[in-house]
Amino acid sequence: MSDTVFVNSAELGTTAADWLALLKPRVMSLVVYTGAIGLVIAPVHMNPVLALTAILCIAIGAGAAGAINMWYERDIDALMKRTARRPVAAGRIEPGAALMFGVVLAIGSVLLMAVVANWLAAAVLALSIGFYVFIYTIWLKRLTPQNIVIGGAAGAFPAVIGWAAATGNITALPLLLFAIAFFWTPPHFWSLSLYACEDYERAGVPMLPVVKGALHTRICVAVYTLILVLVSLTPYWLGLTGRIYGVAALGLGAAFLYYSWGVLRDKQDAAGISLTGDVPARAAFKYSLLYLFLLFGACAVDRLV
Amino acid sequence: MRLDHENWSPEMVAEFKRRQRGRNWALLGILAGFCVLIYAVAVVKLHEYGQMW
Repeated sequence: MSDTVFVNSAELGTTAADWLALLKPRVMSLVVYTGAIGLVIAPVHMNPVLALTAILCIAIGAGAAGAINMWYERDIDALMKRTARRPVAAGRIEPGAALMFGVVLAIGSVLLMAVVANWLAAAVLALSIGFYVFIYTIWLKRLTPQNIVIGGAAGAFPAVIGWAAATGNITALPLLLFAIAFFWTPPHFWSLSLYACEDYERAGVPMLPVVKGALHTRICVAVYTLILVLVSLTPYWLGLTGRIYGVAALGLGAAFLYYSWGVLRDKQDAAGISLTGDVPARAAFKYSLLYLFLLFGACAVDRLV
Repeated sequence: MRLDHENWSPEMVAEFKRRQRGRNWALLGILAGFCVLIYAVAVVKLHEYGQMW
């Protein structure tokens, strides 16, 4: 008999990259960016060391929420192609270790934020982590197709946290940036869910295309994009930003409407299932990332110039 | 069959040690970075409150 030893990858130990993946670095990068914009546009100068540390706290807090999310969703992650290789779902990291990692980082990030900035920023950071874990992940995601509409608030907090870290208060502009990120989330995720629908269906996640169908989702993408464009123009209408932002919001919004119109008018069957491999939805998803990046960037440029 | 570490091939032992070394270096880097960060924050805070220089 052969002495062949069967050892799975997990038994050989985790890699540092596995632990990094637990923090959802791609999501974290967007959160860091919006958080940094909130901090930059604040009318108060913050010491660069404290500012960078505050941004680090936002990044670690977001990563902690991601780790706890991966711990809780390991069963459905394992069923979806897009998420099956995540470290907990793939069995490379023990679920308990992932949870502990997330909880320790969450507490650490909030406490460090309180030390370097103020308790308001720390409280909003704690709120965003709690919202993502308890409201979105545990409560809404498996319950309702409105999961990412309400749950999207969790990802909208960073700009408010950045502003609060610098100023110690929360005014209209950071709240409007919150609203922009909030209304950006549905067309962003619903575009993705149109071409990842089978994955969500297999895992039993009630995303909009699974529950209401692709046609309804396409209409919702267009409607929410229109709402987003109107909300994005509000800071300019209220005089909180200048022309640079106003022009950027108008141009970028018009392009987003063009992409969402493409999603709505995609060649489809009677049920709204794409006959083009969801090319317009993929394009809209990619553009939505660029849109948020450029819009928030324009806001920062407008305030600094 | 499932065997314990003593029965691993040299390649498996080498891979196990490589991953362990990678984690250790990462942890060292994070701890060193954290110490530098806390030091820098302490210096800035003390400076802000006029207790230094």
